Amino acid sequence: MKALLMDTTFCVACRGCQVACKQWNQLPAEQTVFFVGGGYQNPPHRSSETWNLITFNEVSRQDTLDWAFGRRQCNHCLEPACVSACPVAALTKSPEGPVCYDESRCIGCRYCQVVCPFNAPRFEWGKRDPEIRKCTLCVDRLALGQEPACSQSCSSNALIFGDRDELLEMARTRIAKRPDRYVSHIYGEHEVGGTCVLYLSKVPFEQMGFTTGLPNTPFSQEVHRAMAAIPFALSGTALALGALYWIINRRLESFKEDTEEQS
Amino acid sequence: MNRTSSPTPPGLILLRGLAFLGLAAIIYRFWVGIGAVANLSDGYPWGLWVAIDILAGVALAAGGFVVAGLVYIFGGKQFAGLARPAVLTAFLGYLMFVLGLVVDMGRPWHMFYIFIGNHQSPLYEIGWCAFLYTLVLALELLPPVFERFSMDRAYKIWQRTSPWLVVALLSLFTWAMTFSLAWTLAVASILLGWELMMEIGVMGRKGQTPVLLIAAGVMLSFLHQSSLGSLYLMTPHTLNPLWHSPILPVLFLVSAIVAGIAMIILESLAVESILGHKTPLEPLFALAYKIPILLIVYAALKIGDILLRGQGGILLTPHVPAAMWWVEMSLGVFLPLALYVAPGLISKRAGLAVVSVLVVAGLVVNRVNVAIVGVEVQRWHTYYPSFFEIFITLGILSMGLLAYTWATSQLPIHDQE
Ligand code: SF4
Ligand code: SF4
Repeated sequence: MKALLMDTTFCVACRGCQVACKQWNQLPAEQTVFFVGGGYQNPPHRSSETWNLITFNEVSRQDTLDWAFGRRQCNHCLEPACVSACPVAALTKSPEGPVCYDESRCIGCRYCQVVCPFNAPRFEWGKRDPEIRKCTLCVDRLALGQEPACSQSCSSNALIFGDRDELLEMARTRIAKRPDRYVSHIYGEHEVGGTCVLYLSKVPFEQMGFTTGLPNTPFSQEVHRAMAAIPFALSGTALALGALYWIINRRLESFKEDTEEQS
Repeated sequence: MNRTSSPTPPGLILLRGLAFLGLAAIIYRFWVGIGAVANLSDGYPWGLWVAIDILAGVALAAGGFVVAGLVYIFGGKQFAGLARPAVLTAFLGYLMFVLGLVVDMGRPWHMFYIFIGNHQSPLYEIGWCAFLYTLVLALELLPPVFERFSMDRAYKIWQRTSPWLVVALLSLFTWAMTFSLAWTLAVASILLGWELMMEIGVMGRKGQTPVLLIAAGVMLSFLHQSSLGSLYLMTPHTLNPLWHSPILPVLFLVSAIVAGIAMIILESLAVESILGHKTPLEPLFALAYKIPILLIVYAALKIGDILLRGQGGILLTPHVPAAMWWVEMSLGVFLPLALYVAPGLISKRAGLAVVSVLVVAGLVVNRVNVAIVGVEVQRWHTYYPSFFEIFITLGILSMGLLAYTWATSQLPIHDQE
């Protein structure tokens, strides 16, 4: 399985990856303003036209103020909530890693948005025929044997594309070698069952605006259990209703005659 | 129906106005897209429409399967007069729900993909189930139509064919949910066995209504009423633990049954005072006495679940979600139970009406809590519905009420004494 490793300690916030993402996916530029939610972060939020965002976080470290640059995008979960949620199978997880979207089936119910732990899917609110838009892990480039546009454009080697297991190994080695440089956590190794985008950081992830407090089990687990109960519920209610009907109906023989006279 | 034509009552004019406004708003919404009319956003993609039109609407229509089941399966013959109004309400309720869904979906013209969709998704289950149940309700509603137009032949054909149709539909449904031949055969053979046993007289058959049709309504309702709760099993990151619970599907089902009953009582009383039909009160009282039992079960499940999950502390936190939890539970559970304890109150029309209004209000607040108030998304401002959203919801509601008055004036719904 392919994956991206984002070593945020190397990121210089040039936003080259943001631009590369827009170019490859032909996403229009957005009108942006500084200092409305997120300081120098630009644009302030992800949207249907910005799938990948470098975040600017002011953190206090060793008694001084410091920048910590984070990143938000679809993390291409190993067991994606969005894929379990989508009623029409417009979202699918491919074996190489990307979670893909098929516009031709989508009904626009936005359940994928409701369940995504990372708030990744974005909806085209202003359109008459709206679609869900999000990072595709450049599935089209992968098919051509190339790496994603963002990691290719990264000039400071903060973004590395590769095999998920190898990247995890690399991340572990980095943490082990420089415990002063990293917090001892690989974000995405276990979150919601693991993701195909992994992050390293010098400050705790909650200070970087990452969604924290997520369970290590996929969101879909409970729902799978509930869905598995359906055939049992179906045949169980059928049996129970039939049996009750039989018993009650026997006790109420007189009622039977009653209604027949009536009708 | 021998009411003389009188000038249009002001209530009707108001409903027509609201329905017209709502329709105009819906057309505008399709013209400009959802973002231009609704306050929904990528952080809060579901709002008022989901809370009211879908969650509360479907729950309040539960009276249809409860009363039909009571009458035709559990032999509750005293409720027979309530069955038709209840089924009509449920049918119109589901049509309103579908309309609400179409407005809320970004691309409703793809909605039929749901039948060849993803059987892991609770929404897929709800789509299938609600579609089949609407069909079942339509079938259940045919007798008044046959009677009205004295179509005896069609009535006979309906009686003979609908059980087999039900077996076919439910087998197809089981296949769609499980893709398992074994399960499909299991469900099919239970139903076939039931029908055959009635056919050869081992089991009695009573009255004119095909029992299997009623049973199908109950089965499908159990499933999708609970699946609406399953939708929120996947939102542990946003839904407050007061509501996010592994037993949410069960809570949704039980609360829908209570509120569905309350809704039937309310509807009968309203029809009596507004449309002037005579409603015998005894069945309503009999029905009303099922409410406290169900409410106690619901309260035990709900409070027990919160305490067992160790979230009891939140209840005493002074913030909006906790306050709304108390509002919801007081309106829907604690106050009605208190009124049942008060002697003599329930045996009067007014008492009956008050209890039912409370239970229904409690359910609506509960669904709003699950869909809106209890939801907190990191880095997003809270959601409040826009005027457009409210007008569309009011419009759909008014269309439903207008359709109800029209249908009851055309069909023998209330005249069963
Ligand atoms: S991050 Fe969200 S959109 Fe991306 S795969 Fe995971 S659940 Fe789906
Ligand atoms: S909005 Fe589209 S992609 Fe998302 S869950 Fe609904 S149908 Fe699937």
